[in-house]
Amino acid sequence: MTNSAETIMIIGAGIAGIHAAEALRNEEYEGRIVLIDRDTELPYDRPPLSKEFMLGESTETDIALHTQENLEELQIDLKLGVEIVLIDSEKQSAVLSDGETINWDKLLLTTGSSLRRLPIQGSDLEGVHYLKTLSDAKAIRGNLDDIQQIAIVGAGFIGAELASSFKKLGKEVTLLERAPLPLAHILGDEMGEYFLQMHQAEGVEAIMEDTVVQFNGETQVEEVLTEKGKTIPCQAVIVGVGVIPNTALLDKELQIDRGYIVNEFGETSLPNVYAAGDCAMWPFLGNNIHIEHWDHAINHGKCVAKNMLGGEQTSYSTVPYFWSDQYDYRLQYFGHTKNWETTVLRGNVEDKEFSYFYLNKSNVIEAALLVNQPKNALAVRRLINQQKPVVPELLPNTDIKLKECMYVEVD
Amino acid sequence: MTNQTENLPLEENKYTFAAASDSVKEGEMIDIFLGKETVVLARVDGSVYAVDGICSHAYSEMVDGELEDHCLYCPLHFACFDIRDGSVLEGPAVTPLSVYDVMEQDGSIWIKALDIYGE
Repeated sequence: MTNSAETIMIIGAGIAGIHAAEALRNEEYEGRIVLIDRDTELPYDRPPLSKEFMLGESTETDIALHTQENLEELQIDLKLGVEIVLIDSEKQSAVLSDGETINWDKLLLTTGSSLRRLPIQGSDLEGVHYLKTLSDAKAIRGNLDDIQQIAIVGAGFIGAELASSFKKLGKEVTLLERAPLPLAHILGDEMGEYFLQMHQAEGVEAIMEDTVVQFNGETQVEEVLTEKGKTIPCQAVIVGVGVIPNTALLDKELQIDRGYIVNEFGETSLPNVYAAGDCAMWPFLGNNIHIEHWDHAINHGKCVAKNMLGGEQTSYSTVPYFWSDQYDYRLQYFGHTKNWETTVLRGNVEDKEFSYFYLNKSNVIEAALLVNQPKNALAVRRLINQQKPVVPELLPNTDIKLKECMYVEVD
Repeated sequence: MTNQTENLPLEENKYTFAAASDSVKEGEMIDIFLGKETVVLARVDGSVYAVDGICSHAYSEMVDGELEDHCLYCPLHFACFDIRDGSVLEGPAVTPLSVYDVMEQDGSIWIKALDIYGE
């Protein structure tokens, strides 16, 4: 199907990049695939880092996505520990930090995102951690036995999952969040309140609406100071305050907002240059959005890779999805919404088993949060995918199947 | 469970009683617990199949997923397996689901549970 003399270069061997490379081979692309990453580890799965890996339930081998042999079999030319020095989009070439020049026919940017850093005093103390990579996770795990009190800055998904893991390991956990409620910017105040109470019920000291201003200690962090004057003693700090897309490459030439802007096929504003995953901003139901989740990275990476081969073009429209495991709660979230009109609860909050729907003005479900209700996952995904109105009054009634909550026009 | 199955020929062949036939309806699935294992029983085109009840990719109970003909979808990351032989039809899973031999006889479903109880 393709010219075997062709080269596709993929920058970033995270989840989007590795799945893109695999997809190319699955589509019987016969040309060269060069996959480049500054990380020195073979590609691995990140979601377990804050959960199973942190708890010691899974190992490095368990979370590896590929062995060296696998990659050789797939004929993926993986270059690790290498930076991009220069990309020439006209000559379609790239110079790598090891001196090599790669001439590419098509380029896929799966550069991912970087963690937002806290530029405050004491950030360089020992025991102040961020969690993004396997080596970050190993560094945190390495000292855990000597640590009793841990402060987590940021009550987003990473912060919440870590709080859960550390509680399971018997640590004293303080969770600090700048906003009045955790996750309220995504899930709304009612669910924000729910998750705040969840943390508290699990014995986490949750401090909301306060900002960390300083880490104190000699060489090792000993306490966290907040703007409102609180002092939190701790032997470790983990900061999880969000991510920033990596868009330094070709930043003068490409259209960039919060990520490289791509169309529904994954094409950037430059010919033969594509982007996928965390680093891209893509059109979903008429709006350009950015999604920094595992499921999206896989699906976007695969879809854009197929489109790069020039055959039938598939527009990417997968309903965004993420999951999170915290304590004995499994959260699943489908869709994307910022300005929902109403919310509808289905199920019982006290039972810790419910679905929570976010509807727009036309009663179309824009997004849904499922708490310990995996049984609803595929049905909810279909409902959101259909983008058709539902009858909100029917949604709370668990005797009525989800698909029967659709609005049907009567002649 | 051994009380019910004592002296039955199937048991001598290492089959274990799994469920009553009428508890697994066409196109539907249930899960059962044998030893420490969770097993999904499903009926497709009249035949009963038995596969591992936990996804081979990440911890997720397959019975919460969906069965569409012979395709079994995981509710967590939507991997898809062939219920008949456990093979992966769609990622992210790469490892097939374990499958168990099934016998259906006189209104009962039996599965060969060597993997569960050992020889």
